[in-house]
Amino acid sequence: MNSKKNDLKSLELTVGDVFSKNARLKARNVNVFYGENKAIDNVTIDIGSKEVISFIGPSGCGKSTFLRCFNRMNDTIDSCVIQGEITIDEENIYDKKIDVVPLRARIGMVFQKPNPFPKSIYDNVAYGPRIHGLSDNKEHLDNIVEEALKRAGLWKEVSDRLSSPGTGLSGGQQQRLCIARAIAVSPEVILMDEPCSALDPIATAKIEELIHELGNEYSIVIVTHSMQQAARVSKRTAYFHLGKLIEVGKTKEIFTSPKHNQTEAYISGKIG
Amino acid sequence: MLGYNRAKGLVNLNQKNLHSLTHYYGIFCLLSALLPTLGVFFIFTICDDLVFAELVKEYIPNEVINSKDYNFTIVLAQINNSVEGLVFGTPPQWVTNAAEIWKSWVIKSNILTMIVCAITILTSGFLSYKKIHSEFRSRNAVEKIVMTILGVSSVIAILTTIAIIFSVVFESIRFFALIPYDEFLFGTVWNPQFEGAERAGSGQEGLSQYGAIPLFAGTFLISIIALCVSVPIGLLSAIYLSEYASSKERAFFKPLLEVLAGIPTVVYGFFAALTVAPFLRSSGSMLGLDIASESALAAGLVMGIMIIPFISSLSDDVINAVPQSLRDAGYGLGSTKNETVMKIVLPAALPGVVASIILAVSRAVGETMIVVMAAGLAANLTANPLEAVTTVTSQIVTILVGDQEFESAKTLSAFALALTLIIITLGMNFYALHVVKKYREQYE
Repeated sequence: MNSKKNDLKSLELTVGDVFSKNARLKARNVNVFYGENKAIDNVTIDIGSKEVISFIGPSGCGKSTFLRCFNRMNDTIDSCVIQGEITIDEENIYDKKIDVVPLRARIGMVFQKPNPFPKSIYDNVAYGPRIHGLSDNKEHLDNIVEEALKRAGLWKEVSDRLSSPGTGLSGGQQQRLCIARAIAVSPEVILMDEPCSALDPIATAKIEELIHELGNEYSIVIVTHSMQQAARVSKRTAYFHLGKLIEVGKTKEIFTSPKHNQTEAYISGKIG
Repeated sequence: MLGYNRAKGLVNLNQKNLHSLTHYYGIFCLLSALLPTLGVFFIFTICDDLVFAELVKEYIPNEVINSKDYNFTIVLAQINNSVEGLVFGTPPQWVTNAAEIWKSWVIKSNILTMIVCAITILTSGFLSYKKIHSEFRSRNAVEKIVMTILGVSSVIAILTTIAIIFSVVFESIRFFALIPYDEFLFGTVWNPQFEGAERAGSGQEGLSQYGAIPLFAGTFLISIIALCVSVPIGLLSAIYLSEYASSKERAFFKPLLEVLAGIPTVVYGFFAALTVAPFLRSSGSMLGLDIASESALAAGLVMGIMIIPFISSLSDDVINAVPQSLRDAGYGLGSTKNETVMKIVLPAALPGVVASIILAVSRAVGETMIVVMAAGLAANLTANPLEAVTTVTSQIVTILVGDQEFESAKTLSAFALALTLIIITLGMNFYALHVVKKYREQYE
């Protein structure tokens, strides 16, 4: 481990263990620029397989920007430039040969605000499998939809009204629908960008429970403003500040005995 | 006046605790001084002509009043012409006299108006100024005045619409007294003749036929051709502009497209008649098709080009209004750009797109100049776009242009046509709103 540390400049900054034994996603010396503005400064981190990791930090620290690097959502922003290397299963996702479409099917995403399509519940979930040609017949597609809704814990609530519009559900149900929609294309990694920030505490509790369960099958990266949420759902936690990755470690350790004084300041409520 | 009031208000009231900000007191004074004055001015200018008309009766000699073909409106018009210096031939002496007296009244009434206005502005200004004290809620008063002004403006717009509809309805009733409405609505031959021609007994009796179906068929044929041109082009260009074009291209193309909407329809009309129609005719004859020099096709094509900006500009706005989060969701699931646009953005924007198309249709149905110039006047009942057809609007134009006998069925038929057209477009708009509302309920 020590020799590796010397290779990587970023470790001058980051405290804790950025590496993971069975890493699925690897980010190496990633810099992100919005025009002149440097949003992410030399971040290196591993995300293990079947691991729930949360990114915390004050607003504008770049955690969402960094999250969006993993499925190349920043491609849609013209002024955004990304340096460094991000790999999934040792494949560089910014390689010119990589097609972004199957990549995004492998790395699903759930957004801050529930954003179901203005279609029926069924069509919302079936959208991904349809565009990726995952099923040949109606029966198979029905199965995929049912399975995804069950895993997202929504099946019992909506099984009798699959053809009603997804936008007619409550906020928490909509967000679980979005999770079901992401699961339906069987991704390997799910990125969640503050998935509970628009929800009430009961809906939040349901989503957290769901994240907990899904963590047994998928790698989940969750950006959150709530430290309690990070503590509840994730095994590892990464603390970002002003575009830099300050500290990474086991969630328990980060919250009980942070090594970096900035992390401590944030956790004890002095910054943020 | 404003500065005076405001300054006084300021000086007077600054030391006390005001209810509202000082400038509200100024605005209140200004409004309450000006509005009554404006009202008085309007009443005076409207009333003086009426009063003069009553007064001038005294100056009309008795023998004129007693004569057989006496018509007060005509006499009044004669006097008015004389007042304005429009003299045809030598008017009788009494007309000139009456005009002289009228002129003197006008000067007197102008002076009177000015005096009354000055008095009103001073009294109402003074009254409102008196009202100002620290407890007076001038902000609320100003709000109320502004609200009333806004309300009156919208009422004027609505009343005008109602007035237009009523004028058309009354003339139409006169028409339907002459021609039964079932003949008008379901007749398949449109052949209006002057009653004079019929009466002359030149073998033309009973030739007039007022069946509106060929006109409406022509209108819809041309509108459908126009839609076939404008919906695909307009919609696709809207998608390109809002989803694919870079901001630079967008800034260049969008105003350029909107220039199309600024071209006067007369210009489109002669473009259709002088360029498109001959081109169609010659290329048709090469293919062995016989295309009339005035064809529904030429008019429809050009009209389609005319309404492209309506569809593209409105659809572009609607597509832009689709929240970015929906696009993100699409991309996040691994959709390509095309899939996102076709399966997510367009369905979400559909109500607005439908609305823009309906607007374009009502524009096409009501369009006049292009069809007058390019579609011809022959009321053929045909579905063949290569033949000449005529539309409701171009018939209205030909009927009403020039000197016409107002009482004849031919002239009145224009109003019946207009009424039917209004009912159809209103119905279409109503239906469109209904469709849009239904989609909204489903999606929001």
